[in-house]
Amino acid sequence: MTATEFALRTDGVGKRYRRGWALRDCTLALPAGGVIALVGPNGAGKTTLLRLVVGLLAPSTGTVEVLGHDVTASTPQTLSRVGFLAQDHPLYKRFTVAEMLRFGRACNLRFDQGLAERRLAKLGIPLDRKVGTLSGGQQAQVALALALAKRPHLLVLDEPVASLDPLARHEFLQVLMGAVAEGGVTVLFSSHVVHELERVCDHLVVLNHGRVTLTGDIDTLLAEHRLLVGPRTATDLDRAGAVVEAVHSDRHTTLLVRDGAIPAAPGWQAQPVALEDLVLAYLRRPSEPSAAVTSGVAA
Amino acid sequence: MTWLIWRQHRTEVCVLGLLVGMFGIALLVLGTQAHDLFPGGPARCAGEAGINEACAASFRRLDEEHGYVENLLAGFYLVPVVIGAFLGAPLLARELEDGTWQLAWTQAVPRMRWLAAKLAVLAGVAVTLTGMFTAVLTWFRQPFDAWEGRFQYDAFDLEGLVPVAYALFAFGVATAAGAILRRSLPAFGVAFGAFLAARMPVALLARPAYATPLTTMEPVPVGGSKDQAGHRSVPSFADWMIEHGYADATGRRLSWTEYYELEGAANRAGTNLNQFLHARGIQQFGVYHPADRFWTFQLIEAALFIAVAAVLIGVVVWRVRRRMI
Repeated sequence: MTATEFALRTDGVGKRYRRGWALRDCTLALPAGGVIALVGPNGAGKTTLLRLVVGLLAPSTGTVEVLGHDVTASTPQTLSRVGFLAQDHPLYKRFTVAEMLRFGRACNLRFDQGLAERRLAKLGIPLDRKVGTLSGGQQAQVALALALAKRPHLLVLDEPVASLDPLARHEFLQVLMGAVAEGGVTVLFSSHVVHELERVCDHLVVLNHGRVTLTGDIDTLLAEHRLLVGPRTATDLDRAGAVVEAVHSDRHTTLLVRDGAIPAAPGWQAQPVALEDLVLAYLRRPSEPSAAVTSGVAA
Repeated sequence: MTWLIWRQHRTEVCVLGLLVGMFGIALLVLGTQAHDLFPGGPARCAGEAGINEACAASFRRLDEEHGYVENLLAGFYLVPVVIGAFLGAPLLARELEDGTWQLAWTQAVPRMRWLAAKLAVLAGVAVTLTGMFTAVLTWFRQPFDAWEGRFQYDAFDLEGLVPVAYALFAFGVATAAGAILRRSLPAFGVAFGAFLAARMPVALLARPAYATPLTTMEPVPVGGSKDQAGHRSVPSFADWMIEHGYADATGRRLSWTEYYELEGAANRAGTNLNQFLHARGIQQFGVYHPADRFWTFQLIEAALFIAVAAVLIGVVVWRVRRRMI
């Protein structure tokens, strides 16, 4: 891959606030095209990482490269290639929807006013309403329409559906995925909900305690991991270092192993693992430096 | 950007514009009446209060009919502070409060350009509004200034360059406080408090020390100073008297206790006080800044407040540049 085929490359990125490190040793190479999910519990450093990606924060260590350009430069050109939807989709609440669009037009090099108006008309959001009087779901849609009208190459969304009810959540993801299907945009979004990701995402980054613990193409990750169920045993089974997690019940031991090549021992049954279980297993692992598992991009 | 700044701050600008406009109209109406008391213009009566009978009558009517306005206006040195703080406080704080900084700074306008435009426009509005307010107020105070000079607190703090500097100071403090506190209202309060805290020591301690004051020393006249009509005294009405009192023949300043002892002695002796003092070589002294130092002092004080504002704005720019906000 050449540099520009990566939507995002970070090298040893760390961010320290006064209270301590929010993100450490973050090295990522995420391919352009498709949808990338950034998953982790609250306080894992997701928002920090996304703010670093869009240039709202400067890294304490390392470099962040978006679409082949260092983001700290912050020129109008680099800024206009990236769309950002912050957590709780902040908008100027006293502006009307039309004024929000005018804001987008005034502050961007290119702004597809027609596209935004069409999207909002389809959703039945009137342009003359004050943003503050719209429902949370409608506000999220206005923010999304605003970000998409920039025609960004990379669209970054921070917990876009966390504050929405199930119906609004579904509608939002539908619009988002529709935009992805139209092509040309790489989507990077964070979530603390793992479920539903499988349906919409191509790529996964798991963040825990400010460190990347797992990253890779979802299909590859699922193919590489298996659940092995066998009789309960207390012996150390992690000969090859391939065991991600071992769970012991009264009679059985369940192992999540990463290396798909290991043949199951006699008496052991191999099962595919669900994405949610895979993510949870990695989140439960004690945090240790340089334990990140990379897959997909290198393959 | 111009449209955005107008759209975001039009409420503040309109409210302040309306206030300044209303004050302005009220002062123009009242001021016209006050000016009409001086047929040849108030400047011609400057220093003539005790000399020219017509001027004395005008000043008397001015005091009776408009003195209350002058007293009221003494508190208006805070208006520039309100203007500056009201425009500065929400500049960053409101964006940080509502999270919209993340929206504003991820459009194609780089944050430094965004900040520069906002600072320039809003500081410009603060200067313009304060300038207009000060111009009307200065005109209104012309008859009063002809009477009392421009160095009194209710004149010096309301006229010339100083009000604009106060506005910029409040603007700078409010902007910086808003960047750190991330809330508009506390930032406004901080700016107001900072101004009051700075203004007291500046007006009472720093201002008299902007230059070395002059001193006069002359023997107590036999007739007493009150009978001096026709004689233009030094320091004059327009000078800023900082200290005055009595000194003995060698020039040693007498404490007020010593002076009262002399007064008591004169009473016991049954002689006229002035004659008594004159006979003992007692002198009157005055420590003062001459009236023509007004603009020098205005420049010094304005520079002082604007320098603080510039430093604070510098801190804000530095923090935004370093992406610490």
